[in-house]
Amino acid sequence: MSTDGRPVLQVDDLEIHYGLRRRRRRVLHGVSLSVTRGETVGVIGETGSGKSTFARAVLGLVRASGGRILLDGEDVSRYSPRQWRALRRRGVVQYVFQDPLRSLDPDLTVEESLIEPLLVQGVARKEAIERGRNYLARVRLDPELFDRLPGELSGGQRQRIAVARALVTEPALIILDEPVSALGSANRVGILEILKELRDTGVALIFISHDLGSVAGVADRIAVLYQGEFVEVGAAREVINNPRHPYARLLVGSAPTLRSASADRAQREALRALLHA
Amino acid sequence: MVRRVLTLPTGRLAVGILSVIVLLAILGPTLAPHDPLGTSALTLAGPAWEHWLGTDYLGRDVFSRLLAGSRTSVLGSVEVALIALAVGVVPGILSVYLGRVFEWFTRRIADTLIALPFLIYAVAVTALLGNGIPQAMFTVGVLVSPLFYRVARAATLAVARSQYVEAALISGASVGRIARRHVWGKVLPPVAVALAQTIGIGFVVVSSLSFLGIGVQPPAPTGAVCSPPTSATCPTSRGLRSFPRF
Repeated sequence: MSTDGRPVLQVDDLEIHYGLRRRRRRVLHGVSLSVTRGETVGVIGETGSGKSTFARAVLGLVRASGGRILLDGEDVSRYSPRQWRALRRRGVVQYVFQDPLRSLDPDLTVEESLIEPLLVQGVARKEAIERGRNYLARVRLDPELFDRLPGELSGGQRQRIAVARALVTEPALIILDEPVSALGSANRVGILEILKELRDTGVALIFISHDLGSVAGVADRIAVLYQGEFVEVGAAREVINNPRHPYARLLVGSAPTLRSASADRAQREALRALLHA
Repeated sequence: MVRRVLTLPTGRLAVGILSVIVLLAILGPTLAPHDPLGTSALTLAGPAWEHWLGTDYLGRDVFSRLLAGSRTSVLGSVEVALIALAVGVVPGILSVYLGRVFEWFTRRIADTLIALPFLIYAVAVTALLGNGIPQAMFTVGVLVSPLFYRVARAATLAVARSQYVEAALISGASVGRIARRHVWGKVLPPVAVALAQTIGIGFVVVSSLSFLGIGVQPPAPTGAVCSPPTSATCPTSRGLRSFPRF
């Protein structure tokens, strides 16, 4: 695990392309970001801006065509699948998916899904179950749910289990890809509360969302991704109160909960015209 | 899974029919009312109280031969299905995970096996390996394996991109563990259907090959009553016409 101050994740000039030859398409261009321990960084962008691709590149699920990614001090940009598996087994980085139903195996009980990362690490089954129960309590779920199947749980319960599964290996970094967008408002608040508590434990979080309102209350810094590039990166308060890039201004202006920064319809249309120009 | 099948009325009916077939295969020779190889002067007789399914051209009791031969047919068809399962399913699952080279080779092998003329190839291989039911069924099992390869591959492809498999991958799980924990359970139902289908095909194949003189040799009984030289007399016997196959 990294020491305080040293970035858990450092991404320099990341380039990602999809497709071959004539179909080759640039998805991320010159993306740089560093995240230190205990920090929460919100990555905001519209659908297709490259948010999930950025996360997948950090997890080694997509190969970078340029730049470098340092995870816990190790340059993982050119890692082989075997090296990636060894790194993942150490539990340095974990991921929480958007859809809590599809991210849990429908045929496995909560217990089996929750302890799987620990069993992969070689932790004894008995100890893994014990740790799984502790983390279930940490995400405010009844340990009696341990024997249930995902189909028997609500969306909010499933997402809490997904968060618990990410936490159980005590990773240095957790990437949350739209973790609350599939949830109702009560569950959304519950998950955001859990994330705020997590931040205090020292784990680094990357919170990916298209909804500035969800990220604003949790993130220390916000990075705005637009057409595959970070157009604005700064302290959350600064980005919300004083957005500089037209797209960041449009995002802030479109957020209904941030009344102080909200723009009226005419202002938003002017910003859209400026972006397209 | 077995419990789930037994909760359905159709599942219970299927298990009942299968149990009868398996019991007949096990106890068939014991239950036979006559010696399946015993001849009599009563040739090509129609169904009667003494000979339920009549007699063949040598006066042998068709029902006894059917019971005695069912074991060979059931074992033969199960051998076909199990070999096809073993040869087809594992490469089918692994072709999704072990990279493009493995995928390319296994797909070409499956395509080639499908393109081979079934009976001619079976005759050629049994000529090479020696005439007998195990050899013949091994050949047939290999030839049927592309069905299992494709079914397993299609089911795995549907699961491979799922988020829970990616979650396991992100946890550092190996391909073997992912296949065991997450893929196998989803591949099993379509494979079970293919298995049942193949056992049915196996029955017909044992009969077809016996008809060609491959596998079971006369006078040994099989589920196929109309094997040579009996086949020539099939059209003239009501019993043999009605029950030409198991």
